[in-house]
Amino acid sequence: MSLIELKNISKIYNETKVPVTALRDVSLSIEKGDFAAIVGPSGSGKTTALNIIGGLDVPSAGEVIIDDKNLADLKSEALINFRLHHIGFVFQAYNLIPVFTARENVEFIMLLQKMPKIERNKRAVELLTAVGLSDRLDSRPSELSGGQQQRVAVARALASHPSFVLADEPTANLDSASALSLLQIMEALNHDYQMTFVFSTHDPRVIKRAHRVITLEDGQIASDVINQNAHDD
Amino acid sequence: MLFSLAWKNVWRNKKRSLIILAAIAVGLGSGLFASAVMYGMWDSTVNTSINRDLGHIQIHTAAFQQDALIGNFIPDFNAAVTIIRNEPAVVGVACRTIIEGMASSATSSSGVKILAIDPTIEKTVSDLYTNMIDGQYFDTEKSNPIVIGKTLAGKLDLHLNSKIVLSFQGPDESIIYNAFRIVGIFDTESSIFDGTNVFILQNDLFSLLDVQPFVHEIAVRLNTIKNLEPALLTVQTALPTLKVESWKKLAPELSLMYDLLTLYLNIFLGIILFALLFGITNTMLMAVIDRVREFGVLIAVGLKRKKLAALIMLETIVLSISGGAVGILLGVILIRIFAATGINLAFLAKGLSSLGVSSMLYPSLPFSTYLTLTGMIIVTAILSAIVPARKAIKLNPSSAIRTY
Repeated sequence: MSLIELKNISKIYNETKVPVTALRDVSLSIEKGDFAAIVGPSGSGKTTALNIIGGLDVPSAGEVIIDDKNLADLKSEALINFRLHHIGFVFQAYNLIPVFTARENVEFIMLLQKMPKIERNKRAVELLTAVGLSDRLDSRPSELSGGQQQRVAVARALASHPSFVLADEPTANLDSASALSLLQIMEALNHDYQMTFVFSTHDPRVIKRAHRVITLEDGQIASDVINQNAHDD
Repeated sequence: MLFSLAWKNVWRNKKRSLIILAAIAVGLGSGLFASAVMYGMWDSTVNTSINRDLGHIQIHTAAFQQDALIGNFIPDFNAAVTIIRNEPAVVGVACRTIIEGMASSATSSSGVKILAIDPTIEKTVSDLYTNMIDGQYFDTEKSNPIVIGKTLAGKLDLHLNSKIVLSFQGPDESIIYNAFRIVGIFDTESSIFDGTNVFILQNDLFSLLDVQPFVHEIAVRLNTIKNLEPALLTVQTALPTLKVESWKKLAPELSLMYDLLTLYLNIFLGIILFALLFGITNTMLMAVIDRVREFGVLIAVGLKRKKLAALIMLETIVLSISGGAVGILLGVILIRIFAATGINLAFLAKGLSSLGVSSMLYPSLPFSTYLTLTGMIIVTAILSAIVPARKAIKLNPSSAIRTY
């Protein structure tokens, strides 16, 4: 059974007078341990696909099944709870809580899971160490570089022991060195802990390292290929 | 951690938070001070009445309460006094003989209440002797001395050492006349009291009537007003045949005034908070609009909407309570300063005197007002948070995250 399964997903936005079709009859399976990139030009439906997988948006048609759970069966609060326990998010603009330190940002997710304080603290330190920020535990986002903030975001995404991590253009705002460093961290987590990563991108550096590349064009899957040359720098 | 987040969030935009905090602080501080002045005025009126003649407790016969006739005196008043003195909270017991009569001068006359007293004992209950503006409080060798108020003296055109004739109905219903020499003139905060009460010696009255001592009123002073209720109950139980009443019953207008004042001041503070409610709502609404993306992220990563609402409510409460605390502190400081120095309203003395209020006001505020106010601030904060919280929890995370 797949970790993530999209069945005949369509998404039509009716926010303007002319309805906009973002996804057309998309079916997709993501397996545990995948390191998959969803690529495509702007407006191809990458972000919509990620939002639907993450339960942030509701499809106009079709089903999203994650960990054997059909997201359509979950009401608003149950869906939030499901996200909290099953999905880690990394956003393009980092989106850390600015008044919290790196450690507090990571701990906050575990607080929502009602994890005991000692355990929270221990795991936050472990995760921040894993992303190379053991010396910046008590720094606020404003005191960190973009790359460092995104690494905190990755640590935050992993804090809740999620089934997979969704990353929307994670390297878009990063310089080459920071992007490479982040990708290496994500790859290591994928390799060492079988953590599933699904990320949207049009960054060639990321596409090159993805194990699987799903290409969207006009809201449809144009190709879905295994990248045999991944890891080859 | 949620509280820590709320606290930190409040101070993210220091200028905006400080402005609303200052508005809350100044509004509440001023409101508290204004309330304290009003309470001080009431305190002054009550204390003046209690200290001047009322005492904390008074005892009469039921018949005298109905009809203030000379014959409605307290039977065996000495026994009653002994019982009252046994109550530990009692510090003074004064027996008064009271007769309604007429005071006349060569030019005019006026209806008065004649209070026959023992000045030495009366001093343990009443501070009238401290209000003498001319002459002395019975400290004289002159025969038939009388002490009258400034208002009555003016009305009858009388001065110190003038002769005044009192007339009243005796026990046998005959009209009794007697001349008295003015040995002292008092001026209290109440021009009504000064115009209607005259004081003579009990011994002079009993000699004039050729009767054994009798009294109509026993006035009791306690060590503190806090002991009023238990002391009242004890004396009432010990003297079941007499009407034992507290100052609240004897001067219901003062008690009513207090209740009305409390109501008025709660409404007054409520209006201030109601006005502040809009300011707080506006501030929090701006804070929510500024953080749409952040709230979208929080909902996305797993913060339940009711917790998000709680966070905004907590932030509003933190902001409001902070402003409220500074406001209360400001109010307390102002009250303390003016309670020590007093507020001199001498330019209003004449008008205040007709209301029985001293022209020197000492602001004071009962502790219960602070508790009520704290509750009102919390309610205001919760009400203020409703609109911003509703806005936040209705956010769609996928579009909120893309808001810049």
